[in-house]
Amino acid sequence: MPSVLITGASRGLGLEFARQYASAGWRVHAGVRNLNGRPPIDDLKHDNVTTHDLDVSNHGQIQAVARRLVNQPIDLLINNAGLWLGENEHYGRCDDAQWFEEFRVHVFGTMAMCEAFIAHIKMGDLKLIANISSANGSLTLDNGVGDYPYNTSKAALNLITRGLATDLEKYAISVICLSPGFVATDMSGPNADLTPEESVSAMRDLFKTLGRDASGTFLRYNGQFLPW
Amino acid sequence: MSEQAFTTVITGANRGIGFELSAQYLAEGWQVYACCRQPEAASKLQTLSANPALRLCQLDVTDWASVKGLAMHLASTPVDILINNAGLFGGDRQSFGNLDYDRWLQVLDVNTLGPYRVSTALADSVARSTHRTIVNLSSSMASIQDYSSGGGYIYRSSKTALNMVTVNLAHDLKPRGITVLAVDPGWVRTDMGGPNAELDPEQSATGIRAVLEQSSVATSERFVSWENKTHPW
Repeated sequence: MPSVLITGASRGLGLEFARQYASAGWRVHAGVRNLNGRPPIDDLKHDNVTTHDLDVSNHGQIQAVARRLVNQPIDLLINNAGLWLGENEHYGRCDDAQWFEEFRVHVFGTMAMCEAFIAHIKMGDLKLIANISSANGSLTLDNGVGDYPYNTSKAALNLITRGLATDLEKYAISVICLSPGFVATDMSGPNADLTPEESVSAMRDLFKTLGRDASGTFLRYNGQFLPW
Repeated sequence: MSEQAFTTVITGANRGIGFELSAQYLAEGWQVYACCRQPEAASKLQTLSANPALRLCQLDVTDWASVKGLAMHLASTPVDILINNAGLFGGDRQSFGNLDYDRWLQVLDVNTLGPYRVSTALADSVARSTHRTIVNLSSSMASIQDYSSGGGYIYRSSKTALNMVTVNLAHDLKPRGITVLAVDPGWVRTDMGGPNAELDPEQSATGIRAVLEQSSVATSERFVSWENKTHPW
């Protein structure tokens, strides 16, 4: 039974990844923030799903989950947890605390997950780390110019993805960053181009066919290469 | 001081490339606001202080109050070129499995948010000047495309994020006629670059001044080397 660990699995793309992989017969480890302080999430009530209390900005929680899963292989790690602050991202409006929070979640959280779960991923068959980035993280595309904390933290996420691809090559682990498209989630709102089902379904297909030479690249959900 | 003199504001001006740029702009007859955390301890800058065109300013780029204080001080001064030079390397715990996350945040605070704070606070003064230029000192190590070595995560990510600040500022300040560039100063013999680096600070600063001389708002939003060669993002 292949296994996947997903951060930010309480809603949006993370929840959809958990739902689809559970239906497909995978063992799903769903990281959810404030697990014990929220109502149960119906879509995560499935025999294949184990939920974990996991805020990726809390490295103690990351390490606790890694210890709980010790000696269990993880085929696929999806670093999905993310946030966006709307108009508070704009020139003259973004404050330091919010900016740091986005770095803690998008960049440090991703890196700390990779550090904590490297042993589990080495034991897996697929050996893939997928970082959910954004076209906003591209320095050359025009998407969403002006969202300072989001764009800078996603550009930094892309940078660490490329570094991790090199550092983890010796373990045959691939690391990619992805733009999931403009998806109708709580973050993007209802007027987006894609449903979570469509975006996640396309990314799952992509993960099945990805070659080792794709490691360290920036891809759209449908497999198109994106510029840095 | 003639009415026609141009003005530059340089952060991290107490040593390295910031000091050299201060010295060169002074020699060219510019008015130089040389900013650093502890002007009273900036012994190299003090050797230039016989020149009345040099103003030593206290500035901590991580502190909004300090940055806004500088902006108030310069409220009636057009700033032709703002040089966001202050930066940290971030120590030696920058490799996979060995990362210092507290240090990482401090480096982002100085290298990435620092230029954002100073640029937004001084934008009105820059917009009122002749040259209307903001330059962020980046690094060839900021390039995602050219990053094939792994490691160095803290410094590299802070400079990649600074390049993104550059792109966003260039976009947001274009309507005000302000040029915003990310410039890689090269590998320079400074406290950060070490004694084995390729360039002396004079060469790098001379190159950076030439890059700025040749830039205009039509060529804003670029990532170039001290020799004015375009880097891949």
